[in-house]
This record gives sequence, structure tokens and C-alpha cells, in this order.
Amino acid sequence: MGMALIFGVMRIVNFTHGAFLMLGMYATYVLFQTTGLNPYIGFIPAGLILFVIGYITYMALLRPIRGQVDFMVILLTMGLALIIIDSVQLIFGADYHQINIPLLSKNIRIGSQISLNAPWLVSFAIALILAIALYFLVTHTMFGRAARAIAQNPYPAPLMGINVNRVQALSFGIGSAAAGIAGGLLLPVFYLFPEVGNQFELKSFVMVVLGGMGSIQGAAIAGLVLGVIESLTSLYWGNEWALAVDFVIFILVLSLKPNGIFGSQRA
Amino acid sequence: MPLLEVKHVSKRFGGLKAINDVCFTVTPGQITFIVGPNGAGKTTLFNLITSVYHADSGEIRLGGEDITYLTPDRAAKLGIGRTFQIVKPLRNLTVLENVMLGAFLRTSSPGKAEQEATKVLRFLQMEKFLQLPARGIGLPMLKRLEIARALATQPKLILLDEVVAGLPTSEAVKLAMLLKRLPEWGISTIGGIEHVMHVVMKIADRVIVLDHGTLIAEGVPRDVVHRAEVIEAYLGSKYKELAL
Amino acid sequence: MKNRQFIVAGVCFALALLVPVIIQDDYTLQILFRVFLFAALGLAWNLVGGYAGQLSLGHAAYFGVGAYGLALFSKIGINPWISVILGVVLSVISATLIGAVSFRLRGPYFALCTIAFAEVLRLVTKNLPNVTGGDVGTQVPLLFAQASIRSFYISSVVLTVLAFAVTAWIERSKFGYYLMAIREDQDTALSVGINTARYKLWSLLISAAITAIGGALYASLFLFIVPDQVLPMEISTEIAIVAMLGGAGTLFGPIIGSVVLEIAAEIFKNIFKEAHLLIYGALIVVVVLFLPEGIIGSMANKLRLFKKAPAAAFAVPPPVSAEDEGQRAALSE
Repeated sequence: MGMALIFGVMRIVNFTHGAFLMLGMYATYVLFQTTGLNPYIGFIPAGLILFVIGYITYMALLRPIRGQVDFMVILLTMGLALIIIDSVQLIFGADYHQINIPLLSKNIRIGSQISLNAPWLVSFAIALILAIALYFLVTHTMFGRAARAIAQNPYPAPLMGINVNRVQALSFGIGSAAAGIAGGLLLPVFYLFPEVGNQFELKSFVMVVLGGMGSIQGAAIAGLVLGVIESLTSLYWGNEWALAVDFVIFILVLSLKPNGIFGSQRA
Repeated sequence: MPLLEVKHVSKRFGGLKAINDVCFTVTPGQITFIVGPNGAGKTTLFNLITSVYHADSGEIRLGGEDITYLTPDRAAKLGIGRTFQIVKPLRNLTVLENVMLGAFLRTSSPGKAEQEATKVLRFLQMEKFLQLPARGIGLPMLKRLEIARALATQPKLILLDEVVAGLPTSEAVKLAMLLKRLPEWGISTIGGIEHVMHVVMKIADRVIVLDHGTLIAEGVPRDVVHRAEVIEAYLGSKYKELAL
Repeated sequence: MKNRQFIVAGVCFALALLVPVIIQDDYTLQILFRVFLFAALGLAWNLVGGYAGQLSLGHAAYFGVGAYGLALFSKIGINPWISVILGVVLSVISATLIGAVSFRLRGPYFALCTIAFAEVLRLVTKNLPNVTGGDVGTQVPLLFAQASIRSFYISSVVLTVLAFAVTAWIERSKFGYYLMAIREDQDTALSVGINTARYKLWSLLISAAITAIGGALYASLFLFIVPDQVLPMEISTEIAIVAMLGGAGTLFGPIIGSVVLEIAAEIFKNIFKEAHLLIYGALIVVVVLFLPEGIIGSMANKLRLFKKAPAAAFAVPPPVSAEDEGQRAALSE
């Protein structure tokens, strides 16, 4: 469940448009990078690298097709994802990897019923801190305001002195960085293989839509809620039902409350 | 019997009351124009009549029938044609095909639709543009395309939203004269929104003035234009003494 | 569509049917089967995605329902061909449900919702082993007397002809015009009396039916299916790309798209072996960046060969809506 939160929380920066299916892929990429370095430090450079990658990707590939129908963006990012996954597979092979750090097997007991896995906790804590930082970034800085303005209505933005391209590139970069960080934080607890990001992709969308595009708190809370529901479902019915339930919730929310639970943005 | 009745219609958006208890009727055979400063709610009124939005209170009747809570396509089927303030041509279709879309409301045959569309376009003097893609034809023709498409649906009432706006005067006058001939086409009842006052003066039988969502004056154009409230709405209270 | 094009199409299809006489090699026929199958699937998708402009990424749902329909209905003793028909019916019912929910959404939400539905279907199928065999899979009966690839190839050509004919008929009918209007501007469509919801749904139902038949064919060829084979997103994407590569919204687009894509994919698999996904991904990127109108679309612009390049709709930015005063959610009104 911590995983859901981490990823949900990290996913939200891209509130100008949500069609990026490949942030999970960034996570994978990063995971490979941090294989040598303790991930609890390693996630920082991972994040930075991914920020750069994200920024460049936006400028080179996404900006030219900004005007097009969103579907195209989805397709493009899916194509990109394929390229990255396959490249990674070529370079590193398709085997599973796992890292071993001392923290891995420590558990913390709360009460008599609940045993929490230490790595989860650490990851969760870091994620939470970063999420809060992100929240402040979005609400209290010029950058955050600019990004939100663009999300509301992209056309008059340039008239107000906002460099739309740069803000969006930055947003995308930050979002990518977030994904990268998520990847690094998840390294201790997940097996590593080229397609590891796939399971997160669609879930992250569900979280964003659930929480409402444009609302960081929303996405975070949605991530939390989703995580809980997932864990419970897994417990009783197994992992795949949990995923199915995710999607069902997604569909329900989309049909009943398209703005998400906390949403303030239109599509 | 009035063709269109708007009775005590109100609509708010969040905190803003866009339309405030507006009442008026449109008689068959009349050309009625709605004027008012920007933001007065004119397009909202059109949207309410065509069920793009639903009124919070009040009712709207077409030929006696309650049309307040329909859908835009039902409104079109019942005989309300409309154009949009920002022209929305179907860019990748030809001019003819655009208008055929309207004609298809009354026929299922592509052949008949094409015939009807051609007739309409001829009336609007657009024969040269029939096969051109709607994308590249220039604003004056786009405005006429909007009208043509609405006309092809054979409406009882046509709502023209700022059809003359943005046109150079020569074009505006030409279009206005065409509009005056709409009754030949069987559409005697027209509702319009306009800013371009000389057009309104030329062709309107009746004028309704909206300001901040409220109806502040109605009557024959010549009279209404001189009323104190109207001048105040447009120019501010300083100029009230201009009223006769 | 001009008569000249009909003749060209007719000739090509006739030739296609004669192919098995010349080519006996199973491997080639299998590739060609795939080409025509995806041409048909692409044409079916094109109705919803190309003409109506509703870009669905969940068509695997209908494909899978068709496949599993055949498998499961025949398991309980129903004649295979009747099972196919039942599969189609089931697929149409699914489409009704999916459409009812998804069509109310605009933009990326629509696509995401279709993805969600397809995924739910896939996951449910995987997790009901008693009914569907789950991950282990289920047997599929043979539709033809002989297990010969020839019969499958011919059926795929027939299916393509069917899809082609349906598309051609729609294209020149009121239905087709209405779909295109919906694609271009739903508000305008409404204002001329088009019940957008109804027409979108119909295009989806027809699309789903054809896709389901394709699914059943595909399943019967392999005689054994698992959920991840007929219901994954990869199938949905492949179907959509085939149509978009060739030219969404055009009559010949999906066919050309399928020819190019399937053959290219096969070549890549042989040459690049490990990297074929990479090339495939690169192809997608190239198409989106440089060929948003697809092959036919771009050609049509240059040569003015076909009547229009409606797929250009996907490259034109939507104008700002003047009706934006009120509150609009992701719902279309």
C-alpha cells in the first residue's frame, strides 16, 4: 500500500495533461542506475537524471505535437515506452535483479497484529516529504501558479508573460523526476526487470483521475485510498482481482464524477 | 400565437447570475435582435433556448411546446436553427458537405441533401465555394456557411449569433441584405445577437436590450436606442443625458 | 467513393482470393492471414476511431469476447459457427455498455476509459479459471473441416471485404456524414440535430461486431487461447495503429496500414530478433510525429487522389470554445 501512495504522490505533477504512460518506464530506467548505490541516497541522482530526460523528451518530442488530439500523445508515449523498454532489455538483459541492503529484512511491529516492513516505511516517509515539498512548489511558487494557469486555459497564458513551453517542459521534467525517484525508492522491495514499470502505468492514471486532475492532495489521497483497497482486495481475492477492482473504480468514477473526487480542472 | 416565449428564465453559473428573470416573446414573421454590452448574457440566452444549457428556473416555449429541458439536437429537430459566434465549420469537409449536414436533418438521402444544400448555398451566393474545403475560405464566407448550414435544417426560427461581427462594412451590408431576404426562404422569424448597430437598425423589427443578464428595454429599434437605460448600459451613467 | 476505386478494390480482392493457388507455403499464408485479419480489424476500428473520431484503445475487448465466445459456447456443446454468432452478440452487448459509459467522456478520458474496460475484461478472464480456464487457457474448436491455413486465409480476406463494403457504404450515407460531423465538432453536430450519442454508439456496435468475428477467427487458428493473447493492450494498440498508420477516416487506410505494419513487423522480427519491439515503438513515434494523417492522408494531401484527407482532423488544434462560460466537466453535454 505504501507503493500505491508513493507512486500516486509522485505522479501528480503533470497536471497540464495526463497522457504519459511511460513514467513507469522512467522508474525502471532509474532502477538500473541505482543498482550500485544505496537507493536511499541513489534516488536523488536518479531523480535528477530523469528530470533531464523528461525535459528533453518534452522539448524534442512532445512539444511539436502539442496541438494534436490527446490520443496522439498517448500513442507517442506508448511508442516511446516500447523503445525504452526494449533498449533496456537489450542492454541489461531480461533477467530479474534484486538488491540486498541491510534494511531489507527489518520489520517493525505495531501492536500485535501489524507488522510493517522497514524498507516500505522508509520509502513511504521519503515519498511523503517529497510530496509535501511538491505541494508547496505547486501552490506557493510562481512556477506552480503558472503551471496551474496553463492547465486551466492554455490560450491566454502567453499573454500573461508565461513561457508556456518552458513551464510545461519543466512540469514534465519534474513529473519524470518524480517517477524516477519513485523507481529508486521502490528498488529495495521490488524485483527489477525491464517491464517492471508496466504495472504502475495504468494504476497511476487511475489515481490521477480519481483524485482529480490538478489536485495534488487529491492524487495523494486517491493513491492512499486505492492502495488500501488494493491491499484488502489482494488479501482476500488475490493480486489480479485487486488490479481489476482498480479499473472498475476508475470506470465508476469517470462515469459518475468525471472531475475526480477533488478535481477542479476540466478535462 | 407567439412562436417563441421566454418566461422568467434565470440561469446562474456558480456565483454569477448570467440571466436574470428574462421575459420576452417572438412573433412569427418578426426579425428580433438582442443587443447589449459584452457579457450581458446574450449568447447564454441562445444557449438556453437551444438547450445547450438548462435554465435554473422559468420556461421556454416554442409554438406552445415546452422546450426548456431538451438537448440541442432535439431543439434543432423541433425547428430551431442556430449559428455560433465563433464560427465552427467542419474543417475537413467541403462547403457543400458542411451544409449537407444540416439538410440531412430532413432527409436520409445523400442525393436530396446535396440538392437542398446546393439550393441554400446558391441563395447565399456561394456557388463558387461549393467544392472547396471549409478550411480555407475566409471569414465572410465562413459566416455565410454557418447560416447556410442552419438554413438547410429548414428551421421555423433561426438564431444568428453575431453573424456580422468581424466583417468589413461592405461585407456586413451585403450579408444584412441577404438576411432581409430570409423570409423568401420560408423563414420569417429570426433572432439575432449583434453589436454592429447599423445592421440592427437596418433589418430589425424589434430590439431587446440585455445588460448583466437583465432585460432592460425592448421595442422598435429607433426608440430603444435613445432610451436612457440603454445608453447608460453601453456608455455609463455620465452619458444618460444624451437620451431624448 | 468513385467507381474507379471500387474497381481497383474489386480486382485486388479477387487477386487476394487467388493467392492460395499460387502460394502454398504455410508460413507466407499465415503472414498474409495476419495482414488481412488486421486490415479487417483496422477497418472496423476505423468506423469508430477514424470516421467518428472516437479513438478507442480498448478494442481488444471485442476481439477477446469474440474469441472466448467461440471457445466457451462450443465447450457447452453449441455448434462452432453459432458460437461465433453468439460471440458477436456478446461483443455488441459489451460495446453497448462500454459505449454508454465511455462516450460521455472527451479527450484522453475516453481513451483511458476504453483501456480500463478492456483491462477489466482481461483480468476477469484471467481470474475465473473455472469458467475460462484462466491463465492456462481454453481450447477453441476448428471452424473449418480441415486444419488448413488456406481456409483461414480466405476467411480473413472475406472478412476484410465485408468490413470494406460496410465502410464504403457508410462513407457515402447519411450515417457516414453524421459520424464525420461528430468527429469534427460535436457541438456543431448537435446544433444541426445530430443525436451524437446514438450515432457514436452505432458506429461502435458495428465495429465491435466485426472485431469479434476477427477474434473468433484468430482463436480458431491457434486452437487454444489464453487471456493475455487475445485481450491485452497490445492488440488494442495494434488495431489502432494499423488504421492510423494507413490513414484513419479513409477507406483504404487500414488496409494499407495493415500491409505495411504486419509485413514490417514480421521483417523486424526476423532481422532484429531482440530489438523488434524497439523498432515497432520507433515506428509508432515516427508515425505520430511525421505522419499524423497516415500514409493515405499524407498522400491525399499531396496528390489530391482521394476525395479528402479527413484524418487531418487529428492534426488540427481545436479552436477555443466560445461556450466556455459555464462549467464543463469531462462530460460532453
